[in-house]
Amino acid sequence: MAKPGKRDLASDAPYGEIGRSATEVLTPEGVVLPFINATFGERVGALLLDWLIMILAPVIVLIIWLILPLEHVFDNGKNKALGSFVLIVAMFFLFFLRSGYFILFEMGARAATPGKRVMKLRVISHDGGRLTPAAVFTRNALREVELYLPVTLIFAWSANHSVGSWLAFLWALALLLLPLFNKQHARLGDFLAGTRVVHMPKASLSYDLADLEGDRNLGLSFTPDQLAYGEMELTVLEQVLRERKPAVMKAVAARIKARINWVDPKNDPPGDETFLRAYYGALRAHLEAKMLLGRRRKDKHDAPV
Amino acid sequence: MNDDIHTPADAPKPVLRLKSQKFREARQSDWRALSAQLDKVEKRGLGSFSIDELLNLPLLYRSAMSSLSMAQSISLDRNMITYLQALCVRAYVYVYGPQTRLKDVLYSFFVLAWPRAVRRLGGEIALAFATLVAGAIAGWLMCAHDSTWYNVFLPGEQGSRGLDSSAEELRKTIGGNPENHALSPFAVFLMTHNVGVAISTFAFGAVFGLPTFALTLYTGITLGAMVWLFAQQGLGFEFAAWLTIHGTTELFALVIAAGCGFHIARRLMFPGDATRKVALREAGTLTGTAMIGVAIMLTVAGCLEGIGRQMITDPFVRIGIGAVMLAVWGLYYTSVGRRKPGEGA
Repeated sequence: MAKPGKRDLASDAPYGEIGRSATEVLTPEGVVLPFINATFGERVGALLLDWLIMILAPVIVLIIWLILPLEHVFDNGKNKALGSFVLIVAMFFLFFLRSGYFILFEMGARAATPGKRVMKLRVISHDGGRLTPAAVFTRNALREVELYLPVTLIFAWSANHSVGSWLAFLWALALLLLPLFNKQHARLGDFLAGTRVVHMPKASLSYDLADLEGDRNLGLSFTPDQLAYGEMELTVLEQVLRERKPAVMKAVAARIKARINWVDPKNDPPGDETFLRAYYGALRAHLEAKMLLGRRRKDKHDAPV
Repeated sequence: MNDDIHTPADAPKPVLRLKSQKFREARQSDWRALSAQLDKVEKRGLGSFSIDELLNLPLLYRSAMSSLSMAQSISLDRNMITYLQALCVRAYVYVYGPQTRLKDVLYSFFVLAWPRAVRRLGGEIALAFATLVAGAIAGWLMCAHDSTWYNVFLPGEQGSRGLDSSAEELRKTIGGNPENHALSPFAVFLMTHNVGVAISTFAFGAVFGLPTFALTLYTGITLGAMVWLFAQQGLGFEFAAWLTIHGTTELFALVIAAGCGFHIARRLMFPGDATRKVALREAGTLTGTAMIGVAIMLTVAGCLEGIGRQMITDPFVRIGIGAVMLAVWGLYYTSVGRRKPGEGA
C-alpha cells in the first residue's frame, strides 16, 4: 500500500481500480474522462494473440486447400487464369497478414485488432481527438524497427554467434521494454503517432448497497464518533460487500467493531453482512453529507470532517 | 450529521434515502438507454439507427456526461461512478470518433493532406533523391572500374543477367510477355514486396536515419550497376525504357519513403523549439500521411510493371508512359491543394 500522504482521493482513482494509471482527456463538455492505460502485460498478451492469429490463419487456409478435392482442376496446365487468380489472392492474403493486419483493424470503428479486443484494449489519440489513418499507419509501420527487424537480425546472426546478434538482441530488448519506462506504457510507435492504447472495461450498474430505511427498521445506528473512516475505506468496504465472501466479511466486521468499540445488542445480534451494510450506509451518508459542504476525508489517517 | 440515522424508528417518517440515491434513480433509465444504444453501435454500426435514435444519441451522451461530473461531486457509490466513467468513455469514442463521410475523407486526403505532406517534406525528399543519384553514380563508376563489383552488388543475378550474359540473353530479360495474363501474379508480388521495402525504409528512420540512408544508397548502387551492365552491351536505351515505365513512379515513391525516414530522424535528433515528444508526434503524423500516399504510388507502379511492361514492348512508348507518370506526380505534388492567398494557415 502507498503511504497515506501520497494517496489520492479514492474517487480520483479510475474505475475504482486503485494502482492503475489513466490518461485524462478533457472532453468538449468540460468533463475529465479517465482512460485507463493498458498495462504492459495486457499489451504483450494482445500482441501474442495477434501473432497466433497471423501464424495460424495461413496454416488453416493451407490445410483447407489441401483437403478440398482440387488436384484435377489444375492438372496439365488447365485453368491457367484461375491458377494465377488463386496465386494473386494468396499473395494478397499473405501481404495483408504481414503488413496490413494491424493497420486495417485499427482503422476500423473498434480501433483494435482481434487480440486487443479480447484484452479489451483500444487505440486512442493521445489527446482524445480523432484517431487519424496516418497515425494508425505510423504506429504500425514502426513495428518494423521495434520488432521484425531485430528478430530477423537475431536469427540471421545467431547462426555465427557474432557481436551483431547481441547488438540486435539488446536493441530489440530496449525497444520492447520501452513501455515499461513510461507511465502510459506507450511504445516507440505510439510516441511517433501520438496514440495510446487504453483499457476499456465494460462495467455494469449494480444495485445500491445503502439501504438506510432497512437499517433504521433493524435499529442499527452509529454515533458520528463511530464513523471514523474515510472514502478509501468506504471503497474497500463496498468491494467486500459486493464480493460477499463470508470469511472476509467476518474479518472486516471484527476489525471495524474493535475500532469503533461496538457493542452488539443483547437480543438478536446482527450478522456480519447486515452489520457491514448498515455501517456502509451510515458511513456513506455521513461522508456524502460532508462532501456536499466541500469537506472530504481521504482515508482514516485524514482529519475527521 | 443527519439526525434521522440514529434516532430510533418509532415515529412515522418519510422513507430515508441519500441524495445520491435519489440522483441515481432519477437518471439511471437514461444511462441504460445510452448503454443499449452503444451495444447496438458496436454490433451493427451507426447505419442501423433510425433518425430519431441518431438525434437522441448526443442528448443521452450529454446527459450521461453531466451525470458523471455531478456524481463525482455528490456520490461515493463506487460502482455507480465506475459505471458512468466506463459508459462515458465508450460513448465518447463514438460521438467524437471518425464519422466523417467517405467523400470528405477522400477529398481531404487526396486534395489536401497528401500533396501538402509531400511538399512539407521537400528538403528531406531532395536529400533522399541526392542519395539515390549518388548511389547510382557510384554503382556505375565502380562497375566500370572493376567489373567484379557487379557480382558483389547483385549476388543473385549470376544467371540471366550476369556479367557473362550475352547481349541476346540480356535483351530477353527486358522484353515483353504479351501472352501473360493481364493481372499477373508477378505484378502483385512486386507491389507487395515494394510496399514492404518502403515501410522498412521509412521505419528505419527511427534509428537516426542511418539504415534509411544505407538502403537508399544501396538501391542507387544496384540501379547504377545494372544500367552499366546493359549499357556496356549496347542496350542502355532499351534498359532505360524498360526501367522508366514503372521506375519513375516506383523510385519516386521510394525516395519519398526515404525522405519520410530522414524527416523522423531529423526531428528525433533536432526537435527544434518543440519538446522531443511533440516533435516526434508531429513528424509521425506528417510522414504517416505521406507514407499512405507512397503505398498508393507503389500500387500504381506495380500495375505498370506487371501489366504495362508485359504488354508494351516498344521502348519509346515505355519511356513516354514513364515520363507522363513523372509529370503527373510532379504536377500533383507541386500544385494540388495549395492554399489560396489570404486563406490562412
